[in-house]
Amino acid sequence: MNMIQSIIFLIASMVAISGFYIQGIEFIIANIRGQSIQSILIASLSFIMGFLERSLDLIILGIMVVILRVILINYFLERTIPKKRKFSVEKYLSVPYLLIVDLIFIVLSVILIYKFVFSSMILRESIAPSNILVFPLITFFQGMFLIASRKSTHTQIIGYVEEENAMILFGIFLLPIPLIIEASIFLDVLALVVISSIIVLEKNEHNPVEDLIG
Amino acid sequence: MIFNNTALPILILLVPAVASITFKWGNIKLATAISGIIEIFLSILLYIDKPAPGVFFIDNISVLFIFMVTSVYFLSSLYSIKYFSHHDIYISNDLYFLLFNLFTISMLFTLEINNFGLMWVGIESTTISSALLIITERNETSLEAAWRYIIIVSAGVTFAFISIILIYYVTGTLTMSTLINSSFKSKFLVLAVAISLMGFGTKSGVFPVHTWLPDAHSEAPSPVSAMFSGVLLPVALYVIYRIYEIYPLKTVYVWIATLSIVMAAIFLIYQDKYKRMFAYSTMENMNIALIGFALGGPGIVGALILLLSHSFSKAGAFYSSGNILRLTKSKKIDDVNGLYKNSPITAIALLFSSFGASGTPPFGSFFGEIIIFFSLYQQHFLVPFILVIISVISVFISINFNVTKMTFEDGKNNSKIDRTMEIIALISSIVPLAIGGYILILMGGLV
Repeated sequence: MNMIQSIIFLIASMVAISGFYIQGIEFIIANIRGQSIQSILIASLSFIMGFLERSLDLIILGIMVVILRVILINYFLERTIPKKRKFSVEKYLSVPYLLIVDLIFIVLSVILIYKFVFSSMILRESIAPSNILVFPLITFFQGMFLIASRKSTHTQIIGYVEEENAMILFGIFLLPIPLIIEASIFLDVLALVVISSIIVLEKNEHNPVEDLIG
Repeated sequence: MIFNNTALPILILLVPAVASITFKWGNIKLATAISGIIEIFLSILLYIDKPAPGVFFIDNISVLFIFMVTSVYFLSSLYSIKYFSHHDIYISNDLYFLLFNLFTISMLFTLEINNFGLMWVGIESTTISSALLIITERNETSLEAAWRYIIIVSAGVTFAFISIILIYYVTGTLTMSTLINSSFKSKFLVLAVAISLMGFGTKSGVFPVHTWLPDAHSEAPSPVSAMFSGVLLPVALYVIYRIYEIYPLKTVYVWIATLSIVMAAIFLIYQDKYKRMFAYSTMENMNIALIGFALGGPGIVGALILLLSHSFSKAGAFYSSGNILRLTKSKKIDDVNGLYKNSPITAIALLFSSFGASGTPPFGSFFGEIIIFFSLYQQHFLVPFILVIISVISVFISINFNVTKMTFEDGKNNSKIDRTMEIIALISSIVPLAIGGYILILMGGLV
């Protein structure tokens, strides 16, 4: 692995680590900002690879990540938190317990899926080893686990955005899909976050409802 | 060819968009209903004058789906006008019809576009445009149902995006017309097709990712439930089928659909709310159609007959449910009785739509199901065949026992239902009978 590949590998691993950070934090505002950090890391990967491969598409992709994920999604989500609740935390949350379960779930899923499915994939020259694919996989399962383990609407939205971030990372490493489609997907995700933020204003915690059982 | 390649498909997308523009300046309700009539006419025209593959991909299968969407769109727009006319709603009437039109456009876009990536965008857009429709009659339960719909479906559809990336990785294209006629072989394509079943299956009611379905159907206002059940789920099924065509995984699809049908039959046994009951019936019907698509040949014909018939009968069932809800103010089966005495038209509509949804002869769905079951047997899927037959009988009993009880049990209610709402429900429930009649005439001709 050369130095550039090592840097790409390092940043990709930091994306996955940011997922663990989001999982381990109780403060909703910190969760939202954790997502922004994760998106900045993905944007920087897109820029590095764009310059390496002289690909305008990857550079535009990086710009879109910064504008839509880092700035706009953060803005819409933070706007839904009242000023007096800036330090609101998720109640009844056992972080150590969640982190242990999360770790077991992620390690098992990623090892199995990577070993049996993705290990034979051939990536582009600038990325080289296919084991870098474990990072988008970890991020994807982190997002999934965040949705399943939390009751707060905000955190569940972050889980969904994290899944989408994993898809961008996956696409960047494998073969970036055409920009027009990527742009449509970004706008879709943004629109979904905006719609979700309307629901956040009305209902910010989710518990079993008797009428919806069965 | 009357139109050039893209004019007619674009026109189909534009008409509801133009109706939406009247949001600020005109009568959006009337514009939506008129748009519905024009859309049905355009979908028929599209059948006569199918464009060659290009930006859009239109064949007989997609035309049938487009016809289903436009028909239920028209009926639901008419029903919505009356349904909300005397009731306060959380979002304004104008916003409701605006979202309703956008919802229809996103479904039509998914059915017309010749690119798997943009089909994914279309499916995701259906979630965006329809999520707020669920909370039209705002209450705690509908908010929770809308949220479950957003988060479960979005997470599932994101999972489906892995299949899109894998298809592009293996083939270097996402153009549907190129891919469904290709012969690519790769284990990653196998994975892509399997993932798409679970990912897009979230939207089309495949077990175990169906959990949003009964919640959203029961809490959405009835015209929206009709759109969900009658056309949204079939649109997701259409995407699954198109991806399946790239690399058919017959055994996997048949077994997962069979499991989903069995589970739907089990869930149906203990339902005590009529809208949830119809939602599980939708799950059953979608998975029978999925088996038909997976089997190919006559199975596809069976699936198309079933879906067409189902779209009208289930729309009728939800319109009838809306009428009953206005009459009794309750969603519980036990709270509804004496329907035939109090409101004979709604009672007949409910009975007919239940017969249609549960595959009773001579409704169209019966013939669709028979063709699929025959194909299943002929292709030696004996265990799935037996499981599906038992489940279908169980579903038939569960639905019709409850509906008969609601219709004929003694009871008195002095409330009145709007006559137009009753007639729309009746028309919708009679169409599957007409489809069945038409098939009988065709069969008579064959004999």
